[in-house]
Amino acid sequence: MKIIVHNDKCQGHARCWAMAPHIFELDDEGYIKPGDIDVAEADEKLAWKGAKSCPERALEIEK
Amino acid sequence: METFATQPIPAHVPPDMVRDFSLFSSPGMQPTPNGDPQASAAVVHQGPRIFYSPVNTRDGRGTWVITRAQDQRRVLQDPETFSSHRSIFASALGESWPMIPLELDPPEHGKFRSLLNPLLSPKRVMALESAVRERAIFLIDRIAAAGTNCHVMEEFAFPFAVNIFLRFLGLSDDRLDEFVTWANELLHGDNVQRPAAARTIIAFIDELSAERRRRPVDDFMSFLVQSKVDDRPLTDQEIRGTGVLLFVAGLDTVAAAIGFDLNYLARHQGDQILLRREPSRIVLAAEELLRAYPTVQMIRVATKDVDFEGAPIRKGDYVSCATMIANRDPLEFPHPEKIDLAREDNRHTAFAYGPHRCLGSHLARREIVVGLEEWLKRIPTFRIKEGTAPVTFGGHVFGIENLVLDWS
Repeated sequence: MKIIVHNDKCQGHARCWAMAPHIFELDDEGYIKPGDIDVAEADEKLAWKGAKSCPERALEIEK
Repeated sequence: METFATQPIPAHVPPDMVRDFSLFSSPGMQPTPNGDPQASAAVVHQGPRIFYSPVNTRDGRGTWVITRAQDQRRVLQDPETFSSHRSIFASALGESWPMIPLELDPPEHGKFRSLLNPLLSPKRVMALESAVRERAIFLIDRIAAAGTNCHVMEEFAFPFAVNIFLRFLGLSDDRLDEFVTWANELLHGDNVQRPAAARTIIAFIDELSAERRRRPVDDFMSFLVQSKVDDRPLTDQEIRGTGVLLFVAGLDTVAAAIGFDLNYLARHQGDQILLRREPSRIVLAAEELLRAYPTVQMIRVATKDVDFEGAPIRKGDYVSCATMIANRDPLEFPHPEKIDLAREDNRHTAFAYGPHRCLGSHLARREIVVGLEEWLKRIPTFRIKEGTAPVTFGGHVFGIENLVLDWS
């Protein structure tokens, strides 16, 4: 599973980070770091919840 | 709270798109004993996705009202079409300068936002947590020692939230009551009180920044006067615009949220018991309470003519994105009228969407969670004190007063 990160949409709500800080890393300003995220199988459920928590719809799930 | 129409309905607004609804004057928006203004505002979901409200700002102007969360997201994510530059504070004085970063548009906005973001980032807020908790414990222990009831806003919510905020600004809370009075008069005062309070706040911010220029210390205002954007120091007006926004935004929003939350728990004993028994549920519950009881409406100004879902929005029109309306959109939240403290997938807009997402949201969330945790830990089963009625009100910022809780 892969999370496609739309950095232009991230506004720093940090809801993904609150759900799974080890999957969704933030920069010093609190926005998500650039680059898509390859999710380990064990983390899939958490990553899914994190991606779904974004108020801006900045995280896209690719199976 | 007084409002009156200052402008006729513009000719381009089709008469059948005008609705008799206002966040200031509709049923439940005026001060109401035992009211529920957020639920009252949800009545708009019986109507169209966009309509025109003839009197829907503090100074009596009409706005388009966007009812669906999805549409509010489109408006708030598009600052090129829907600008937030409208000098809401300065206009009370007949002046025109932006509160920063809220009333700046990209790309200027991003420069100031980047300057301020690290000060209130999620990681920075983690470092503030122990001070937040210490303050909550101090206040609640004092309340518990004093008796079996209390005026929540005056004895807990305001002194808690305002103290944390003043600490962030680098101010002692000797003048806390004075600051709360200024904020109250500015946000909820009449047409004489509002400009007077605005002038008082400006004078205070100007004086503070001058003092910090002379003798910088380790605080927010010293940071600001020493900061640079585009390799130049901030102008006096930029410092004033930023200081004023921080002051206004931080003073009573968190307090109002805590007031609405404790009001809810006092009236819903089952939920109170649940959170008391299982405090680990409070983080998720706080999100649902933010969804159900947000307090702010965002207003944007159209920068050009645009047809939006059948509405002929014209350049200069105001567009209202009220958080309490989006948060009760049935297309976004199943059974939005039901407050479910275990609700998942809760992408509410209490802190707005788009580039102007509340800068203080991470601190606000922490304060609300810590406030509820310590309150439930230290105060036994509580309810609204018999013979009293909390008074709620709508308007520019929703609020609650006279909240007296009892645990005798």
